[in-house]
Amino acid sequence: MRGERAVTAALIASVLASIGLLVVYVFVGGNAQAEGLLLGLALGGMGVAIVIWAVALIDAPVETEARHPMPSPGETRRSARDALDADRIGRRTFLVRLLAGAAGFLGAALLLPAFSLGPAPGNALFQTPWRRGVRVVDETGKPIRPGDVAVDTVRTVFPAGHVGSADGQTLLIRVPPELLTLPDGRGGWAPSGCVAYSKICTHAGCPVGLYRARDHSLLCPCHQSTFDVLRGAVPTFGPAARPLPQLPMEVAPDGYLVATGDFPEPVGPSFWNVTHREGKAGSTPSALPSVRGGEPGPS
Amino acid sequence: MLGWIDDRLGAASWARTGLRKIFPDHWSFLLGEVALFCLVVLVLTGVFLTLFYVPDATAITYNGSFAPLQGQQVSAAFDSVMRLSFEVKAGLVMRQIHHWAALVFVAAIVVHLLRIFFTGAFRRPREINWLIGIGLLLLALAMGLTGYSLPDDLLSGTGLRIVYSVVLSIPFIGPYLAFLVFGGEFPTAQIISRLFVFHVMLLPALLLGGVGIHLAVLWIQKHSQYPGPGRTEHNVVGKPFWPSQVLKSTGLMILTAAVLSLMGGLIQINPVWTYGPFIPTTVSAPAQPDWYVGWLDGALRLFPPIEVTLLGITIPSPFIPGVLLPGIAFTVMTLWPFIEARLMHEGTREHNLLDRPRDNPLRTGIGVAALLVFVMLTLAAGNDVVALVFNVPVETMTNMMRIAVFVVPAVGFGVAWRICEELRRGELHPLGRDPGVMLRRTPEGGFEEVEPPD
Amino acid sequence: MRVLWAFVASLLVVAGLFALSAERAPARTRSQPAGSGSTTNQVSAGRTLYLTSCASCHAANGQGTAYGPSLAGVGAAAADFQLSTGRMPFAENAGHQAKRKPPAFTPDQIRALVAYVASLGAGPAVPTISTAPSLLPRGQQLFIANCAPCHGATANGGAVGGGALAPPLSMATAVQVGEAMLTAPGQMPAFPLSGEDLAAVATYVEYLRTAPNPGGFSIGGIGPVPEGFVAWLVGVSLLLLIVVLVGHDWDPRRT
Repeated sequence: MRGERAVTAALIASVLASIGLLVVYVFVGGNAQAEGLLLGLALGGMGVAIVIWAVALIDAPVETEARHPMPSPGETRRSARDALDADRIGRRTFLVRLLAGAAGFLGAALLLPAFSLGPAPGNALFQTPWRRGVRVVDETGKPIRPGDVAVDTVRTVFPAGHVGSADGQTLLIRVPPELLTLPDGRGGWAPSGCVAYSKICTHAGCPVGLYRARDHSLLCPCHQSTFDVLRGAVPTFGPAARPLPQLPMEVAPDGYLVATGDFPEPVGPSFWNVTHREGKAGSTPSALPSVRGGEPGPS
Repeated sequence: MLGWIDDRLGAASWARTGLRKIFPDHWSFLLGEVALFCLVVLVLTGVFLTLFYVPDATAITYNGSFAPLQGQQVSAAFDSVMRLSFEVKAGLVMRQIHHWAALVFVAAIVVHLLRIFFTGAFRRPREINWLIGIGLLLLALAMGLTGYSLPDDLLSGTGLRIVYSVVLSIPFIGPYLAFLVFGGEFPTAQIISRLFVFHVMLLPALLLGGVGIHLAVLWIQKHSQYPGPGRTEHNVVGKPFWPSQVLKSTGLMILTAAVLSLMGGLIQINPVWTYGPFIPTTVSAPAQPDWYVGWLDGALRLFPPIEVTLLGITIPSPFIPGVLLPGIAFTVMTLWPFIEARLMHEGTREHNLLDRPRDNPLRTGIGVAALLVFVMLTLAAGNDVVALVFNVPVETMTNMMRIAVFVVPAVGFGVAWRICEELRRGELHPLGRDPGVMLRRTPEGGFEEVEPPD
Repeated sequence: MRVLWAFVASLLVVAGLFALSAERAPARTRSQPAGSGSTTNQVSAGRTLYLTSCASCHAANGQGTAYGPSLAGVGAAAADFQLSTGRMPFAENAGHQAKRKPPAFTPDQIRALVAYVASLGAGPAVPTISTAPSLLPRGQQLFIANCAPCHGATANGGAVGGGALAPPLSMATAVQVGEAMLTAPGQMPAFPLSGEDLAAVATYVEYLRTAPNPGGFSIGGIGPVPEGFVAWLVGVSLLLLIVVLVGHDWDPRRT
């Protein structure tokens, strides 16, 4: 009989594959291809055998079963309603209301521990570690002079003492100064054509890691927001609506680049009160450590 | 055996009815089972992975066998995934089966959902299982999102920061909610262990419980069936649960596991070692989520750079595509059975015979249009990859998709409607004529259906 | 039955995709770095070649025209990179970005042209890159931080907007990697790293080219987009086929 032969063959194939799997595990070990293939064959043989068994070796004629409408007969429903008799509790109106109120208070009390999960945002979203006079350093902590930065290069810099900082990460790009047309009031912010913008995209927070040197554009790889480095990082394409905040910089007397303050706007993605100025309190760094999420995580 | 159980539980009577319960035969009724069996594979491989994974963001020095990362600072979580992939025997194949199973799981749910939708299987009395099903889909998406983020590699970290930004964009509560969920300003050390608790405990418990209820409701309501000779609203024509359906389903389960095993062994997925550990100051391109979140990422990519500030309140750009769009989409989807019943003046009629998609051109048209919106947004999430493959500027690609996301579904609606009408006129389907309904007046003054003669 | 054929056809398409992704062969060409050891002979031979092959765009003395930039001061590294990767001479149909193609000149001719361009003004010399396995971790770090944003973590290339593509690095030799980082070709910014760091990056790029894929077919190595396609085209297709076969009524009495 063909069906029986097929089931037998499939099961034998499955057994062989299972034995192969054991051999591979014990003697080879760690070869994902052999393991996956043999496991697939072992399971496949078994599955094929069972399916053929079901369709070829079992005689299951089509049967018909009656179906009843889902609603119970009216009598049953009435008696269920009587048994429930909500009135036995409901008639003590005052107690019912008190119970509901008490449950509400209990619920609120039980919910409160959820607030232990995280701090209130406070000023955290409005501040970064950049302050007036903080040196601009590279990822090894080395301070940078404008002359160290070649024209048309880009590097990721940090506030001194906060290397790897997630909200302080900044792109330092040197462009020919005559090409720069920064917004009014940022005249001295880019010594020798060194401009610095927050590296966090104002759309969804990805690092704006792609720099197109020829057209001086920064591109975020997550959603293709594009920013014009020469014009204060205004968005020129994609979903980002805010420019990347620019870091005000000057050259300190010792020749190294320093910040002359924090970013003028919040870095990173927008939130409902992103334009609220009163949240900005750059002069009180002591208020910070408790709200910031600690030093950036791994690596 | 049965005797022993019956002595203690009186099982014989329900075993008899249960084993002889009739299930209609049609391949499209097995789609949900495929999703279920993916879940079985996910649980089994997931348990294995959990035994090796370390949900800890503490920075340690990697000293495993993967040369390019030796001596680098990585999180303990990433280190454990690397160890699981390279040092644990059969670890890599388990991890890859798990990831493929996750992708196919959600895909199977979507295909199952499409079958339910286009055949009208969600109609009274099955709205209840539609609601549970939508809940299960949401749980599956949440499982995928939390699982995607656990390896703490560069790609998953990038995904997490987008999730953070989307949460942050909710007016008024956004910053508070984001800080509560993540434990502070992104990136935080806490998030990995939190995701882990959700991924291996809370969400699976809800998911498995929900699947149980989903199946129980199916059992109680009996399966719907396609119209055909001898099939009416008041019967089920098919084969008994035992042995043929049980054997077929068991075979299907094992074959599903076989396909996922082959994929897990032969096709590389999520090679975290090439992405390296998550570093908050860098990113690799292209950066995409797994496919089932792609439509939201695509919506984020297509949305115009609009950020309105009214009375000092800003609506951030990610809010509408990232929060409002899925909110509306899932609300409409959840309420669809009730919306349609209202539109079609359904009353309290029960539907146990399924529609063919052509039988309801409006529903089919809406379904096709919604599906095409989803497909267009998903394609938009890969705009940079498409741009690379076809060598067109990514801006052109984005602008084309901005138009396509409206035009293609509109055209799809019209075409689907037209095809339904044509098919109905021609009645080309082998299942033949709709048998129609014959009514008879009952003594109480109501109406009841008369079973047509075969 | 038509459904079956459709499945078979789609599986063939997928198999084709695999074949394509498996096809990228590692580079075999390796340009001999040309540089400081150039002779006056080479310079004059280079000038002769230059006048016939390059001067129409870069002008007779390398000062540049509307069709090609000035070559004064670009240095030997830039010339060697552009010529040895076949980007120059510029193909007429290449659009606005020069693409890698087989070099138009022999290694000797390239050395001569490079010597001539280097004589036009001081610029970066062709770097000496000595790759070493011990540099791998440093190279990985530098690559992820500086190169992966555009070229991708697997160096398979990426679209960087503005119509520009960061090319895949599967053919780039160690010297070419160093040259590109020093001379900023096209839209690429310069990465003036130290010699050892350049070698580290080149080591990692070389490693990526031959890196094993312990998980199986790499399906392009560009993340979730191909993974999603495979999940549907392979996973869902196979399972649908199985579902149709299992759900089919095989009883000959009822067909």
